[in-house]
Order: sequence, then structure tokens, then C-alpha cells
Amino acid sequence: MTSVDRGVPSKSPAAVRPAGHTVLRAGRGSSFLVHRRALVVAVVLAALLAAAVVTSLCVGESFVPPAEVVRVLFGLPSPDGLVVGTLRLPRLVTGLLVGVAFGLSGALIQTMARNPLASPDVIGVTHGAGAATVAAMTFGLSSYAVLPYVSVVGGLLAALLVYLLAWRGGLTASRFVLVGIGISVALGSLTRLLVTKGDYLIAQQAKTWLTGSLNGRGYDQAAPLATALLLLLPFLLWAARAQRSAAFDEDTATALGIRLGRVRFGLSVLGVVLASVATGAAGPVDFVALLAPQIARRLTRTPHVPLVCSALTGALIVVVADLLARRLLSPLELPVGVFTALVGAPYLMWLIVRTRSSRSGGTA
Amino acid sequence: MPGAARRRVGWTAAALLLLLAVLLSLAVGSRTVPPSEVWDALAHGGTSDDAQVVRSLRVPRTVIGVLVGVALAVAGTVLQGITRNPIAEPGILGISQGASVGVVFAIAFLGVHTLTGYVWYAFAGAGVAAVCIYAVASSGRGGASPVKLALAGAAMNAFLASVISAVLTTNARALDEFRFWDVGSISGRDATIAGQVWPFLLAGLLLVLAMARGLDALALGDDIARGLGHNVALLRATGALGATVLTGAAVAAAGPIAFVGLAVPHIARALVGPAHRLLLPMAALLGPVMLLLADVLGRIVVRPSEVPVAVMAALAGVPFLVVLVRRKAVAAA
Repeated sequence: MTSVDRGVPSKSPAAVRPAGHTVLRAGRGSSFLVHRRALVVAVVLAALLAAAVVTSLCVGESFVPPAEVVRVLFGLPSPDGLVVGTLRLPRLVTGLLVGVAFGLSGALIQTMARNPLASPDVIGVTHGAGAATVAAMTFGLSSYAVLPYVSVVGGLLAALLVYLLAWRGGLTASRFVLVGIGISVALGSLTRLLVTKGDYLIAQQAKTWLTGSLNGRGYDQAAPLATALLLLLPFLLWAARAQRSAAFDEDTATALGIRLGRVRFGLSVLGVVLASVATGAAGPVDFVALLAPQIARRLTRTPHVPLVCSALTGALIVVVADLLARRLLSPLELPVGVFTALVGAPYLMWLIVRTRSSRSGGTA
Repeated sequence: MPGAARRRVGWTAAALLLLLAVLLSLAVGSRTVPPSEVWDALAHGGTSDDAQVVRSLRVPRTVIGVLVGVALAVAGTVLQGITRNPIAEPGILGISQGASVGVVFAIAFLGVHTLTGYVWYAFAGAGVAAVCIYAVASSGRGGASPVKLALAGAAMNAFLASVISAVLTTNARALDEFRFWDVGSISGRDATIAGQVWPFLLAGLLLVLAMARGLDALALGDDIARGLGHNVALLRATGALGATVLTGAAVAAAGPIAFVGLAVPHIARALVGPAHRLLLPMAALLGPVMLLLADVLGRIVVRPSEVPVAVMAALAGVPFLVVLVRRKAVAAA
């Protein structure tokens, strides 16, 4: 820790700074409160992600030396330009963006519910997006330009439904989670029905999509996702500030003049939109939204769920899981969702064991 | 005594409903057969098309529906009893999914292709899943609360689903065999399935009925049950074994079907009260009613096509879960 402390210059008086934070000033008037450890973790995660990206681009049917991969990434001519630039890169970009979106979504929803168990997978968002997308597919709508919007609508509707059904003069995390699981099961069986009833080819496509796969995904899926992330950027900046206040309890928030209800509502809508967009691109890649914020928070030891580190962790998980899914049983390619679930589900169980009692809605 | 009278009405109504459900299951379909014809086909045989359809398709389907309905409803009742948890159910807890994994392994790696073969692996899978779920949910302070059980079940379901997905992605032949069975349906099942499943069902039922008193004691709390001279751990183990056998048999016969085991015990409890000696038989009556009615409904809604009973049961069962959760008792636990 001490070396970290020395690494970042601090000029403002220590008394007004929260412990472990540094104020970064970008000219007059604009300043950012930065958690020093979170900054270091973010840099390390980014480095790991870069390494994973290069590895993922090197490895495949044929091995491409890292030097060539870097050349391609910087747009230099290379004999491997086709394999890396045209075949592997689009898929990787999609994976990265999907991971970022799921990581952010999980962080926001977990902050909102103040419960690590409330992730978009658990509360029905991904199943809603999945059901809507498969329905659109079976009714002959297979254009990748439209499907992402369909899944956003589906995710939002499912979340709204869960919210309304769980609302009873207030919202408790446990009621939210239980209703969410119920709705997920119902939507899941509807989806299964659509898959079995549909045309064989569509059924095949839908089934792969439902496991959360990056097979055959490319810029067609990445582009709308990237656009959505860019459009949401101002809201994400708002969320980065707002989530600190969302962590307060009702009384403190009221005393500070924070409209807690509105903040939570905004965070959860943002989280639902992100999860739906990501599902639209790659299908419901299980547990990334649950895992990423939890890992990030453990690494940074911040009091709230760190957004940037969650996004980086999400991207790292998806890229590494997809690399494993592609290569472990090659030439067979498993859907990436299989790997994230194989790791994520035991983690969720561990989390349940560790949670002392379901009533202590705080983060574990 | 109005209570006793109400109870008698309840039993009669349940029995009549079962009769009605069986009749509908025999009569309704892509070809609707009038009840008199159904009766004729059953009692006197006959070679008309209607009689053929009833005997070769509808009767096996109905019989399997009854067996599976009984198994799932009783398994749900027992699971709710031993966990003292109103949302315990084979489907939600991932026990059905465990049975599915057992079947997938049997098909893919062990070359088992007969139902009697499946059943054992279904039991093994269901048993392992049940043990894992309970271990996870009951550890830590707070015990097996509804939220923890549901989450542990959801996690187990997701984990096992990805195991199945991984196996099937790498084994196309297994996918072909598994697909037909996985939809959670009682249509197109061979009549021999009923003949193979019933001994397991009977064994499970006997095991469960034998411990009805023990379940009542458990409902009072572990300490009181112990004070009444019951071995609490043994009770739980027996109950879990019974529920696992029942679930394994049901899943082996019809694939995973959720929510029958959740909804039926609550309806039964509303009719006959919490005493398991009455509750278990009532659940056994009502389980087939719910399953058969869901199945019949599935044949009607998208004619001439059919909706598998698992989907209809889930859609019918979710409102139950929501109502239960909205009651304070569950949410606060």
C-alpha cells in the first residue's frame, strides 16, 4: 500500500479527503475523487485484458505470432491480416463490449438493490431479452439491425413486470429476487417452447444464441452495442457519482437531500438497458453480470461497487472464457456461456453460503 | 362440524376433478372424441379410428400424466415439509435438472438407451443435486430460507444446464436422443414407460407415507420434533430420499416439469389443513389434476400444434409463486 500511496501525488488537505482517495484535478473547477487502490487495480486489469486480447488473437486454428497480431492491431500490413483482422478481431471486439456492458449492468443493479445476489440474470432481465429475441427470430425477424432493439424492449418489460409484481408498499431484495426467479423460469419455458415450435434452422440458431455464444458474432453485433455504450456514456458518468449516494441508507440520504428513490430508479433502468443490449448482441452470457462487480469490489476494496473496474473485469471474464470455449475441445467450439456458468454458478453458491442471513440486504 | 363437512366436500371435489381431468385427457386432442366413444373404446374395445386413438395414444399419455402428477406433487409436499419452506419444489431446487444431467451422462458416455436404464441415472443425478442444494442453502446462519434455497436452486439449474449444454455440444447423437425427452412432455411416450416407472413411484410413495407423522412433527420445529422422540436428521434424510426417488421417476418418464410440485401442496393445504396424513393423499389426488389439465390446455391453445405440458405447468404455476412471495411470511423469512 505504501508504494501505491507514494505513486500518486496528493495536494489537497488530507482532512477533507475520504480515506484512500486522491483528488485528480483537470484544470479549474473540474476534479475527480479517485480511489488510489481502484486506480492501480484498473491499470492492472487493463494490462491483463490487453494480454488476454493479444493471446486470444494469436490462438486459433492457426497460431499467429504476437508481433504480427500487434502489427494488425495498429493497422500495419501483415501476412496474417485476414485471419486476425477479419476473422478473429470482430468476434473479440463483440466479446469485449459484451463483457463491459454486463459488468457495468451488474455493478449498477447490485448497487441499486444493495445486494450482490441481484444480478440481471437472477431478476429476469436476460430471460426477458432472450424470450423477446427468440420470439422475433421465430416470427421471421432475423435482421441483426433490429434484434438488439427487440431484446432491449424484452429486457425492460421483464424487469418492469418483476418490479411491479414484487412491489408491495415497498421493495425488498428477497421479494425481488424470488419473483425474478419465478418470472425467469416462466420466460425460460416460453423460450423453450418457441425453440421447439420454430423452423429447424431457426431453432438451431436460437438455441446457440440462448447459451450465450460468440460464434459467428462480429461487427454486425458489435456496432449497435458500441453505439449504445457511447450513447449511455453521459448517464454512466452520472451513475458513477450517483452510486455513492445510493449506498446511503434512507435516513442519511434524506438528511443529505438525496432523492434516493430517483437515484435507484435511474441506476436500475441504466443497468437493465445495458444487460438487455449485451444480451441482444451475444445472448444471455450467464453470471458475468453477477461475477464481475463482485470480483472488482474484492480487488479494489472500495466501499461501493467500482464501475470502471467492473467493466474491465467483465470484459476480461468474457474474453478469457471465450478463449477457453474455443480452444479447450477444439475443433469443437463450446458456447462461451457454458464456461461463465460453470464458474459463476459455484461462485453464486459460495456467496449464498457466506451471506449470513438473507435479511441483511447489504453487500456480502 | 363445519370443518369436517368442508373437508369432505374437498375430498369429493378433488376426486371428481381427477375424474374430469382424466376424461378430458382421453377425449380432447387434435381429434375430439365424445365421452361415450371414449367409454366404448375402453370398455368394449372396438376398431374404429377413435377407439384406436384413445387406446394407443390417449390412454398411455393419461396414465403417464397421472403417475408423473402424483410423483411431482408428493415430492413437492415432502420437500416443503422437510425444509419448512413454502417454495421448495423439485424444479426450482434443481433436483429435476440433476436427474436430467444423470440421463444425459447415461446416454452420452455409458451407452444407456432404455428407460429402465435412464431411471437409475436419473435417481443418482437427482440425489447428488438434492444433497448439494441442501448443503449450500442450509449452511451459514439463517438456515434454508426461501431466498437462499431459490438462489441455490437457480445457481444449480444454471450450472447443470451448462454441463448438459457442454455434453450435448460435443455429442450430436446424444443431443438427438435427449432432445425428444427434454421438452418436458407426456405426449408420444410409449405405454411401456408407465409399466417401468410405477414400481419406483410406489416405493417412493410408501417411503413418504410412512413418515407422515414425522413430517408433522418437523413442522413444529426441530427442537419440538426431537422432544417428541423423532430423529430429525433421519427424518430429513428419509424425506429427501423419498422426494428424490419420486422426482427421478417423474423426470425419467416425462422430462423436467416445474411448478406442479410448488402449487399443488399449497392448494391441498388450503383444503385439508397441514396434517401430512391427509395432505399427502390430497396432493396425490390434485397433482394429476393439475398436470392433466395443463396438458389438455396445451393441446387446445395452439391447435393443431401442441404446447408441452412443462410450459403450461410453468405458466400456470408462476402466479402461485408470486402470490406466495407477496405474502409476508415468505418474503421476510
